[in-house]
Amino acid sequence: MYTVEGDMDDGYVHPLGTGAVWQRSEFNDMNHASNGESLRQRGYNARETISGPREAQYQNWMDDLSQDENKPIKEFICPMKTKREIRKKQERMLAKKTGWDSWKEEKRRSFRKFRGKTSESLKYVEVWRSSLQNIEGHFGTGIQSYFHYLRFLVLMNFVTFLLVGGFIVIPSIVFNELKLDDTSGTTTTTDSAASNISQCLGYNPNPKGLVLYYTFIMDVLMGTGFMELTYMFYGYYKNTSVNLVGFFYNVPLAYLVTTLIYFLLSLVWMVIRSVKGFKQSLVKEDSAMTNYTNKVFGEWDFCMKDPKIIKLKKSSILYELKMDLEEEEMRRIHAQRTMAQRAGIYILRIVLNFIVYSLIGAAFYCIYLATSKSQEWLKEEKVKGDFILELLVGYMPSIVITAANFILPMIFNILIGFEKYTLIWQIRHTLFRCIFLRLVSLGMLLFSLWNNITCGGNIDEANCITCGYNSDIYKCWETRIGQEMYKLMIFDFLTVLVVILLVDFPRKMLIDHCSCKPIQLWGQQEFLVPQGVLDIIYGQTVCWIGTFFCPLLPLLNTVKYTIIFYMKRLTLFSNCRPALRTFRSSSANFFFLLVLLLGLALSWVPVLYSVFVIKPSVGCGPFRGQKTIWQTIPTTVLTFPKAAEEFFGFIGSQAFVIPLFILSCTLMFYLMALSSSYGKLVNTLKDHLQMERSRTILLNQIH
Amino acid sequence: MGNKQTIFTAEQLDTYQDCTFFTRKEILRLFHRYRDLAPQLVPDDYTNKPDVTIPYELIGSMPELKDNPFRQRIAEVFSEDGEGNMTLDDFLDMFSVLSEMAPRDLKAYYAFKIYDFNNDDYICKSDLEKTLNKLTRNELTPEEVCLVCDKVIDEADVDNDGKLSLEDFQHMIVRAPDFLSTFHIRI
Repeated sequence: MYTVEGDMDDGYVHPLGTGAVWQRSEFNDMNHASNGESLRQRGYNARETISGPREAQYQNWMDDLSQDENKPIKEFICPMKTKREIRKKQERMLAKKTGWDSWKEEKRRSFRKFRGKTSESLKYVEVWRSSLQNIEGHFGTGIQSYFHYLRFLVLMNFVTFLLVGGFIVIPSIVFNELKLDDTSGTTTTTDSAASNISQCLGYNPNPKGLVLYYTFIMDVLMGTGFMELTYMFYGYYKNTSVNLVGFFYNVPLAYLVTTLIYFLLSLVWMVIRSVKGFKQSLVKEDSAMTNYTNKVFGEWDFCMKDPKIIKLKKSSILYELKMDLEEEEMRRIHAQRTMAQRAGIYILRIVLNFIVYSLIGAAFYCIYLATSKSQEWLKEEKVKGDFILELLVGYMPSIVITAANFILPMIFNILIGFEKYTLIWQIRHTLFRCIFLRLVSLGMLLFSLWNNITCGGNIDEANCITCGYNSDIYKCWETRIGQEMYKLMIFDFLTVLVVILLVDFPRKMLIDHCSCKPIQLWGQQEFLVPQGVLDIIYGQTVCWIGTFFCPLLPLLNTVKYTIIFYMKRLTLFSNCRPALRTFRSSSANFFFLLVLLLGLALSWVPVLYSVFVIKPSVGCGPFRGQKTIWQTIPTTVLTFPKAAEEFFGFIGSQAFVIPLFILSCTLMFYLMALSSSYGKLVNTLKDHLQMERSRTILLNQIH
Repeated sequence: MGNKQTIFTAEQLDTYQDCTFFTRKEILRLFHRYRDLAPQLVPDDYTNKPDVTIPYELIGSMPELKDNPFRQRIAEVFSEDGEGNMTLDDFLDMFSVLSEMAPRDLKAYYAFKIYDFNNDDYICKSDLEKTLNKLTRNELTPEEVCLVCDKVIDEADVDNDGKLSLEDFQHMIVRAPDFLSTFHIRI
């Protein structure tokens, strides 16, 4: 039994527990190891061995703590009995307080309770919560993080769809049905010769001539034909501007502003999420310093219940520790390498890097060719008549991108073995190469499209001079981009389904029923989280690029990711085993959000370029007849009252932007300086702490 | 939202809510889990604070703990008698500390106690060896075990006494961000 010392600091417990100045009561035995005394109680018994200054230090902490009434009881480190006593004391103290203090305390309590209740009810709104918990229980937090990302992206896509649907699609449908077309743009162009209008205007995606039996499916899969005349693609939207009594709605303005809003919303949402991960990675320091302690103390997932998974987890920890010890060995050998050997290795690395990047370059060139040729070949007669051939040619860019993203990482994995890096650097290099490949291959496809649409940026070339864009091939170039993104999304989805159905399940069946050696050695499918996350980041980037040109794409993406969630969960439970190398979710959290941000930045480039530079199609879309898509905004601003117009004019002018830019740079440099000084302070404090401890140890030894 | 249950008084439930990280519903659910372990031992009515302890064997047979290599230490650390036999208070305390919402300091303290097999308030090399063997199914060679233990002590021992005190451990936990998410049992 133990009592609390003193009546001033009434019952407040030192959070660290050890060394707390508890008064031992009737029992006079100085030993800790008395029977019946629980381990927790033992931790709290006074220590005779604490030296003078330390005891005073703890007394100070306890005094400080008694002032801290805000710490909830549940966070104190003591058994339930003690907490009850503390609570009783707190209630008594509360009763003793004056009116104002007790009112404050009561308000604080009820606020805390209210917060608890709302967070509890919010948990019910969380989608797929039980699924995620189930996965965590069976496979651990690493694999659960993949499904966490997937859910986050489903949510983001759904919100984007609500925005786009609410402000673009539904008004367009309503105005169309009500026949409120104030088509103020179809016949007027602010540009040159009227004689060229007919050439630019002739946009008719309906098929001419013979309609083959498979046209419907082909149109659905390729986004051509009748699909172009639905709300799916940019081309169908009109530049209606409704101006009724008290109600004003300008569809082009809404289109543009909604695009900007959902981009900003995605950015803000992701930045908020990554701030948490960033804080952690700042604290983490160099992982080389905490490698083993993290593996021993941070790796065992107490959530796991399935004995098979637990066995696998033990194997994985064993594997990792062995790998680390081997790596130590390797590092030691590497440090002892002679100059000649080192030079040899560097040359080898340069050669291999050259091979890797030339392979990537070759892949990019293939993508570029595929995109250009696919458009050409689709027009040829022998392709048009054949369903399979037409499908293949139409999907050629997607097929080439997917093939490159499938084959090249395998080659990277093989080559990286020769470069003799340590394991961490191997993983980093491979990951970097894969990300580079994925995102830049998208960029190549867009570059190829740009080349075709703007005749290589040369507006004065023969094909582009009449309309400002290549109206021979592309009567409605925005829809064309939308179609490419649409096809990429469908193909990506089909690939995932095919891999699950035609690779995972048969593999599992083979392993279960065929007991020959090579098949058993091949083993069950590993659930690889990094590749999976890269896949969904790629899909999300495609969606961001395509939403401007294909407004219903977020909806399709939501459905796609939802189906992928369920399919992946199914394959996880039936077919997969966890990867041998544990995926450390906390450190990768921030990293993958960073890559997603990179994808967002990449997706801005084509959209902003199209909005600011390329002339919108004359024959289709809500911006027909304007010089650039962005022109909507200045025209709208001109209709504002004078004061607002001047205000916006000022904001857009250089007199405002340049000082703002300089101010932001200054702020950024200031924050960087602040953070580096904090880092130095932290290091100094750590050294100080170490010195203090050594000093107390020495003092102890002297006594 | 009314008080339809007769297991606890309102005051008891409030106390539990203040002293653990669980909501009212979760406390009742946990009580039923506790009771299901030994229905003949645990009464249905806790209003008069009965003194009931469930023996360790039953606690260790819970699905959440059954295959956990540290289940014995967990039960010992949180039980009042130090042997693993738990009262309802101990039971709630244990899952409260192991829940998602417990702060890092709280978890670090109890994790330290769990890994301290010989209860000398230090994690010494023998404690580390036992931990490692539990984590790897005894499949590391003794030299490897020794190497890893030395490395862990190197990395975490700040005051250079060859073993990890609570401060060393807490300092190390700050730099191991996975700890918060792995030292967690969902019930």
